[in-house]
Amino acid sequence: MLKHLSERWGVFVLGGSNLATISIIVTSPALDSQGAYSALRFIQATIEKGHSVNGVFFYQAGVTVANGFQTVLSDELALYEKWQDLAQQHKIPLQVCVTAANRRGVISHEDAQQDKNRHDHNLVSPFQSVGIGELVAMLNESDKSIQF
Amino acid sequence: MEHFITFEQQQIPTDKAGYLLNVEDWQPELAPVLAATENIELDENRWEVVNFVREFYLEFNTSPAIRALVKAMANKYGPEKGNSRYLQRLFPKGPAKQATKIAGLPKPAKCL
Amino acid sequence: MNTLAIINRSTPFKGQAGQESVDLVLAAATFGQQVSVFFVDDGVFQLLTQSPAEVEQKHFAKSFGAFEFYDVESIYVCQKSLSQRGLSKSDLIIETEIVDENRLNQLLSQHHNVLSLS
Repeated sequence: MLKHLSERWGVFVLGGSNLATISIIVTSPALDSQGAYSALRFIQATIEKGHSVNGVFFYQAGVTVANGFQTVLSDELALYEKWQDLAQQHKIPLQVCVTAANRRGVISHEDAQQDKNRHDHNLVSPFQSVGIGELVAMLNESDKSIQF
Repeated sequence: MEHFITFEQQQIPTDKAGYLLNVEDWQPELAPVLAATENIELDENRWEVVNFVREFYLEFNTSPAIRALVKAMANKYGPEKGNSRYLQRLFPKGPAKQATKIAGLPKPAKCL
Repeated sequence: MNTLAIINRSTPFKGQAGQESVDLVLAAATFGQQVSVFFVDDGVFQLLTQSPAEVEQKHFAKSFGAFEFYDVESIYVCQKSLSQRGLSKSDLIIETEIVDENRLNQLLSQHHNVLSLS
């Protein structure tokens, strides 16, 4: 079944004669799988081919991509910064499900303020803390979606 | 215990928004106390919704969002009570939010 | 408004997939999205009777019963996934439509968006 879907996708992306608006959903974790990095590369390639990406929605373990406290050694890939650059360069909204994020310790300033024991926060711009309504809106304004 | 409401000389734990932490801590006598924190006085119609929302949660382990509350109320009580204007009039700050609090249910997920 | 298919693929208490699938289905439906739910691979285990209190988990499968109030009425289970695990329709806690692989692919391709939770 997944093969069937990916074949459809392969044709769609590589064919590329019709330009499309694409939504990206990231459910795989920042570091412990390939998914989030593949999403980044896919978005870059998609834009290079002339398509547009109307948003990225982070759900499940994907919300860990938005953790601004991620710190890597200087000679390793700084995935977090890559996402920041991507959002700035192409004005792509990076939307993070607030409930899934809070479950995993990814907390916005607004959420941190509601809890007097919490002194810091790690979900900052360009990432935005949103509800599922934003996912629905994004999906209804695009031609295709793809999940990583 | 960081947040609580006092009821019959007992401290009952709540979250920071005033929702009970334990569904089992609720009893009917507690509902007017919770309602007062929302500036709501419980009459017969509001009690009906509060009880309905609590039963919904106990059966399905999720509090009904307004859309589901309207449909489920309509199934049981007919369209007069199963409509959002009626429910909104009873609970001006949102029936899903206020009725669940008074019914002793957890705060609904933020992303809903 | 386009359509969204949610595929559940993992056992009920492997991580948060089960709960977060229910959250997603209910929230998307609340915002007026037309949602169908599919149970495939180990996801079919989510439809068995459970005692999650023993592992201190929330009984999210009870929320499947609320789907009808959110107008989520298209619920499909993969026949092959069931039979591979020695299960049948009578083992399942909710009313679903059992579909073979061809029909499953056909149904999925009719949805604009497909999200798989595992």
